[in-house]
Amino acid sequence: MNGFDGTEFMGQTVKPPDNPSVMGRGAPRDLRISRLQRALGALASLKLTLAILAALGGGTMVAYLSEARTTWALVLPLAAFSVNLAAAVATNPVFRRQTALLMFHLALIAIVLLIAVGRLTYLKGQLELAQGQVFDGQLTQEESGPWHPRRLDAVRFSNQGFTIGYAKGMRRAATRNQVAWTAPDGRPRQAVIGDQDPLILEGYRFYTNFNKGFAPVFVWRPRSGASPQLGAVHLPAYPLHEYRQAQEWQPPGSRSPLWIMLRFDEVILDPEKSSEFRLPTEHRLVVRAGEARRELKPGDAMHLAEGVLVYQGLRSWMGYTVFYDFTLPWLLAACILAVASLAWHFWRKFSARPWNPPVS
Amino acid sequence: MTELQALWAALVLYVLAGSLAIFGAVLRRQPERTVLILLVAGLALHTAAIVLRWERLGHGPVITMFEILSSNIWSLLLVYALAYWRIPAIRATAAVVMPILFVMMGWLLMTSPTEGHLPATYHTVWLYIHIGFGKVFLGAVLVAVGISGVVLLRGTGYGGKRFARLPDDSRLDELAYRFMALGLIFESLMLVAGAIWAQDAWGRYWAWDPLETWAFITWLTLAFALHLRFTLKIRPRTGAVMIVAVFVLAFLTFFGVPFISTAPHKGAV
Ligand code: HEM
Repeated sequence: MNGFDGTEFMGQTVKPPDNPSVMGRGAPRDLRISRLQRALGALASLKLTLAILAALGGGTMVAYLSEARTTWALVLPLAAFSVNLAAAVATNPVFRRQTALLMFHLALIAIVLLIAVGRLTYLKGQLELAQGQVFDGQLTQEESGPWHPRRLDAVRFSNQGFTIGYAKGMRRAATRNQVAWTAPDGRPRQAVIGDQDPLILEGYRFYTNFNKGFAPVFVWRPRSGASPQLGAVHLPAYPLHEYRQAQEWQPPGSRSPLWIMLRFDEVILDPEKSSEFRLPTEHRLVVRAGEARRELKPGDAMHLAEGVLVYQGLRSWMGYTVFYDFTLPWLLAACILAVASLAWHFWRKFSARPWNPPVS
Repeated sequence: MTELQALWAALVLYVLAGSLAIFGAVLRRQPERTVLILLVAGLALHTAAIVLRWERLGHGPVITMFEILSSNIWSLLLVYALAYWRIPAIRATAAVVMPILFVMMGWLLMTSPTEGHLPATYHTVWLYIHIGFGKVFLGAVLVAVGISGVVLLRGTGYGGKRFARLPDDSRLDELAYRFMALGLIFESLMLVAGAIWAQDAWGRYWAWDPLETWAFITWLTLAFALHLRFTLKIRPRTGAVMIVAVFVLAFLTFFGVPFISTAPHKGAV
């Protein structure tokens, strides 16, 4: 059958009632069923499918071209898409005759639903860790769906340092970042991750990103008698902000901000030849607190009104992107099912009949 | 022979094959064997050019516009030559297909063959899987466009007699839509492979960047065309117009969007 027009249901033709006035509340049961069938038939209309596909294309363009929030432009046509498709699957006899076609369209519904669930539960965020630092669930930036099951606090791993090669012309090659964590069985684990090889913990995928730089590490001993604290100051990303290696920092519990600047003379990443990201072999750390200015070397201490600042040394910090979407494997399975059944459908259809049959 | 000499020689052979096919259509002759031999010889030289460059640079033809155009001319012609060889009834479509490829060849001649840098995200097998699927998709649509071109030309006084020997419009329409079905399968595969790669490369499988958006619009248009055909029982000529529309969208996605996009997803396939 081609061109389903809403009058066929489960393979049998449904005649419209002879007298439409009997379709009221007290209408006989079979007439009420036939009204339901007609409503479903209208929802399953293939002409509606054409309108919905066009609306989805239009909605995509609106979402793409407009700066404002345009979730509705995609959500509305996709909702209509699912209803239309579900009604067609329920009522169109073509789907009972052609299993592969049915599987393909069911997989399409599954993909739309999984994407919807994915958008409601996803999380995407950024974080930074100095070498040796342990992730404590804190993100510097994040966006997430309203139903995201927040389990980040249960995730712990540490940044053990990284290497990044640069080709001539300062072209960044692969990042190799050593990370360590404790497996659920209590055993310590290690892995090398990168921009394309995530560390997956509790469903969260941690990727390194282009953000990384230098991090002077301090011990801060407050005069108040509170316990000393370790602090790593992440200077602006290197080499992105090569000439702006300074940052304001407020030691924990103190009221006056410090200004910290890293200075070194050597060339770390040479645009003329291939090189590797590394810490400078010699550097000076300039610390300014109000009028006071000091240049510190590792081990040096600076006495301030609110406490003593001890410079421990320079490390690197790494930027990470974290992504959570538990639908990923299901989505992949639905996509594979969709393509396989599509191929199966066409294979059967085309092998059944040559395109250019000989005229008998 | 150097890489560029092999490429230019291949282009000359393609132009000869195409010109012969066009003259054949105009003069109602069928120099089919010669066209096929010229195409195959051109493809052999072109393959050599691509292999030599691959050896020299250590990566496939996927970075610069020069490489992208060259490898797409190669893959489109490979798919078309296969269709030309296997389906003799539609060989006259070469008169429609070759001029499209001439435009791409002219464009190739104007781009610089300098080498580009392979970004870190390209060190993955998904690059070749994603691109390979995309090439089969575009090739299948190109064959359908050739057939559609014949259907459309026949509607004009000019093409009526010149393409009289091909099967009738409804059969051509059936064949063209079989190629579109193949195109749909491979475009779907391309999108899925691209999403897998994007998840690894950028930590998200889909972000509506310009290339993704345009590829999705192309996919939707293809779905629309298939549905239109069985829902409204459109005439072969309307079907042909839809096929050309899908091709135009796909072409802009492959070769137009990378020019205007500033997103990291630069790679025109
Ligand atoms: C609202 C959504 C949709 C509905 C209700 C729907 C319904 C249908 C129905 C009833 C058929 C069988 C037609 C027949 O053989 O007479 C069909 C075929 C088909 N549909 Fe859909 N469809 C929808 C969306 C899509 C989408 C998004 C695609 C994407 C590519 C698609 C691809 C196909 C294909 C490839 C066929 C087979 C065509 C053929 O055998 O030539 N459909 N659809």
